[in-house]
Amino acid sequence: MLSRVADSLYWMSRYIERAEHTARVLAVKLESMAEQTPDDGRASWARVVQALGHMSWDEVPDDAFAITKRLAFDRANVSSLIASLTLARDNARQVREALSNEVWGNLNRLYLYLSAVQGDSIRAHAPASLFRRALDEMQALEGVIYSTLSHNEGWYFLELGKYIERAQLLGRLLDVYFRKDGVQPKYFDWLVLLKFCTAFEPYTKLYTASVRPQKLAQFLLFDADFPHSICFSIDRMSEALAHVAPAAPPGRRAAVERLAGRLKAGVDFGQIDELLSGGIDVFLNDITRQCEKIHEAVFASYITYGAETVL
Amino acid sequence: MQQEALADIEDFGGPDPLTELPRAALAGKDVPYARYRLGAAYDEMFAPDGKPRGSYAALDRRLTSLPLDELARRQHACEQSFLHQGITFTVYNDSQATERIIPTDLLPRIVTAKEWDHVERGLIQRIHALNLFLGDIYGDAKVLKDGIVPREMIFGSKHYRREMRGIPVPHGAYVNVCGSDLVRNETGEFLVLEDNLRVPSGVSYMLANRDVVRRAFPGIFRSMNVRAIEQYPLELLATLRALAPFDQDVSIAVLTPGVFNSAYFEHAFLARQMGVELVEGRDLLVNDNVVYTRTTSGLKRIDVIYRRIDDDFIDPLIFRENSSLGVPGLFNAYRAGNVVIANALGTGVADDKAIYAYVPRLIRYYLSEEPLLGSVETFLCREEKSLAHVMANLDKLVVKAVGESGGYGMLVGPHASPAERAAFGEKIKADPDNYIAQPTIALSTAPTFVGDGVEARHVDLRPFILAGAETKLVPGALTRVALKQGSLVVNSSQGGGSKDTWVLSA
Repeated sequence: MLSRVADSLYWMSRYIERAEHTARVLAVKLESMAEQTPDDGRASWARVVQALGHMSWDEVPDDAFAITKRLAFDRANVSSLIASLTLARDNARQVREALSNEVWGNLNRLYLYLSAVQGDSIRAHAPASLFRRALDEMQALEGVIYSTLSHNEGWYFLELGKYIERAQLLGRLLDVYFRKDGVQPKYFDWLVLLKFCTAFEPYTKLYTASVRPQKLAQFLLFDADFPHSICFSIDRMSEALAHVAPAAPPGRRAAVERLAGRLKAGVDFGQIDELLSGGIDVFLNDITRQCEKIHEAVFASYITYGAETVL
Repeated sequence: MQQEALADIEDFGGPDPLTELPRAALAGKDVPYARYRLGAAYDEMFAPDGKPRGSYAALDRRLTSLPLDELARRQHACEQSFLHQGITFTVYNDSQATERIIPTDLLPRIVTAKEWDHVERGLIQRIHALNLFLGDIYGDAKVLKDGIVPREMIFGSKHYRREMRGIPVPHGAYVNVCGSDLVRNETGEFLVLEDNLRVPSGVSYMLANRDVVRRAFPGIFRSMNVRAIEQYPLELLATLRALAPFDQDVSIAVLTPGVFNSAYFEHAFLARQMGVELVEGRDLLVNDNVVYTRTTSGLKRIDVIYRRIDDDFIDPLIFRENSSLGVPGLFNAYRAGNVVIANALGTGVADDKAIYAYVPRLIRYYLSEEPLLGSVETFLCREEKSLAHVMANLDKLVVKAVGESGGYGMLVGPHASPAERAAFGEKIKADPDNYIAQPTIALSTAPTFVGDGVEARHVDLRPFILAGAETKLVPGALTRVALKQGSLVVNSSQGGGSKDTWVLSA
């Protein structure tokens, strides 16, 4: 497929994943506000801001609506929900011919729905239910991406973007919660963290409702069956890499596959007790860095390569 | 939000339009036509006595049986459908880019089988003559030697491409996709107003309009035997494929200037419907006079390019050197015969508004036939006698700059103020060769939904002609409509909209 098309599909998918993550975290956070004391709530918002935005807590006003507005509807904030969706749609528009009517139509409706919300009017919108509705649409979008597109190379570029993004988002979120400095999370915070990752019910089925940080880390890092775990994301990423650029010369494929293999091995054989004693933040940072390297290798090998290297 | 806005429109249970008793709703008298004015112009729907013509009878019965707010609801549903599909163009203002739809009118424009047959034969004749003309002026130039067309009009045209001389094109077809603008005069006769031979657009709107309007009036659509147009992308693909010098594995691409072009939706739409690659200049590269696209697996050869970029921008080495839209070396690959470009370069010389005046003569010269379709009487300001006539009658004429399109650089005399006419007159005198003038034609009017009733608005007709191994039209067209009351300017950049066009099979 055209390198430019692969590029746009990949980014479209990354931005959709980012938008969905943002919407879910905000929905869960807003819904759980009533159950926390003001102090706990403030600490919990601080973690959300760190996990979702490239900004420090000092920049953010101490008001749930103001924070929501900043994280969701501020177009000037490059990592806001609306900014992610705009970028996803811009990329989709550039590869409109590579998408089905259903995929484009769903993404476009989602964008029109959320872009109609003006920042100052969100109080009137009951934001938690607004994000829930957006999430329903996003899941429908995921459905039509799965069911109306051929699972060919382009689809695997979508998969690649989605799971690289997911691994990095999970990495950042876990990092915020397992940090040694600052206010330590309480029991309720760990519950909320599971809900941020749609992991509460799957977790309880495996470990009962007794939520403990170690088990939680074990689950979100290493559970091979749960879609919002880092292990699962990296599995899918590796599978996608095996399917993109099928006819590329072996030399160029090898550079990408070597990096992916190393990352997968690190996660497959990781031990949670070692990690918790040796510093989980180091491990998470390493995963994020390796994901970035894979991203760079994919672009260098399949997308931005110079014509002189192949003629 | 999930529901398609049009899905809840239902006509199935409504009265069968063909068996219901005819009602006598008269234009200018009865709801919904109370404000429908019949003027000097030919009206598509109503005869001069205010009664609907036969071809519009079913639509009339539907319109008179539906409450106005139901029509308004359907109109709104059509607009939502366009918005959701992203069939929009972008307007940039100070802070935020807003997306607008090109307004589509709910009511179809109807063309009878007999009218269509005439239009179809006339346009096929015309495109044959124009392709022969292009082959001639880029070949032996007999038409110039025989004095049919003045030499300086060809060699002085900014659309003449010297580089094209002596380059053979497949099947002699320089123009493979043509979108001709037709209008109807006061007697209802179809006249050709303009041949668009470069990169005509609008065909995606023809198809998109059909898609929504058919769903807004499913009952009468079924009962009226409207001819299908959905095969257009397939016909286009066949036309492009037949331009390649071989049959198997022809690799075709649509070349677009990119997502910021106002017709980008159409480029993407056609590529998707044909199942071919949509490429931008930066996706292509030329090596050793062969054109390739850059793919994830390496380079892939391209055989036929359906280009939607103007000549000037196609190859910075040959044409406009600061263009970043085109592909360096593309023209040499073309000249070497390693890639086909459709339409060929240099076709603009034949759709020049001054050459237009010569087309009837070209038809007689090349085909020894009389033109089947009339043209609009045209005064070339380059001729002294015509210039005097134009200057004396500016209040009655439409004056157009020769090389412009899209409704720019023109004066509609009867609608302009004396000051505007005087200013335009100065421009004509300064550069008479650049202007032509035509009498104002009161374009035919068609019923148009205006929110609280149905009124008459002026329309034109743009069918699309495909030429290559065969020449053909799909039985349909884009009808453009001037939404402002009394306006004769149908261009979308100037407040025009469009209508679905129903060609009847019998």
